[in-house]
Amino acid sequence: MERTVTVVPEDGLHARPAATFVETATEFDADVRVAPADGDEPVDAASMLAVTSLGVASGEDVRLIAEGDDAEAALDDLEELLTTPETESAAESSSGT
Amino acid sequence: MTQTEPEIDAVLIPELITLEEPPEEKAAAIEFLLDRAVDAGRVTDREAALEALLAREEETTTGVGMGIGIPHAKTDAVAEPTIVFARSSAGIDFDAMDGEPATLLFMLLVPAEGGEDHLELLSSLSRALMHDDVRERLHEADSKAAIEETITEAVA
Repeated sequence: MERTVTVVPEDGLHARPAATFVETATEFDADVRVAPADGDEPVDAASMLAVTSLGVASGEDVRLIAEGDDAEAALDDLEELLTTPETESAAESSSGT
Repeated sequence: MTQTEPEIDAVLIPELITLEEPPEEKAAAIEFLLDRAVDAGRVTDREAALEALLAREEETTTGVGMGIGIPHAKTDAVAEPTIVFARSSAGIDFDAMDGEPATLLFMLLVPAEGGEDHLELLSSLSRALMHDDVRERLHEADSKAAIEETITEAVA
């Protein structure tokens, strides 16, 4: 199953949001992949290198694809994470990416 | 500004590629990489750059797995995008999620007003490094020129 989600955190799919995304994807048995909504091949959502390679900025859409018994739960958790703004202000640190 | 993606061959210069073995501890290795850029005259404020790099590591590690560490920062301490490369034969504990020690190190420094430049560089570099043969060639390269060629080709 798959789902398209708009990335809300100011950092986009980078830095802490990316790390939390990868950690969450790893927690499920389902095989989760992610791709920019506008094309490109989906990559392994459990790989930080792969997720970083997508270069997804805040406000962009991603396609989440999950296969396996807990696929729906995985998509639910990942969607919630990507649509929740970070509580800490990204403006706090000029180094955040 | 997004359409002017920085060209890799303008960013990666031989002076910023080192074959010297970096220190085995993460923070020391980051300073080692930074000092290559400082020595090349690319950094106006070493302390500010270091602080930005360490603040980014504090947020979450740049050890992205597969033996790769990409410490990076947006900072006013550089006037132009800069990449420093070093290899660690010992491997450095970068706290990567896959537990692999970092053996290929890329430091990215991008001017604070560079818009999305840093994301573009980070993503094109990561995309190139996902290929097994690119990582293998970087490990086997015996000269700065070979490293430069591998990265430039892989990112192009």
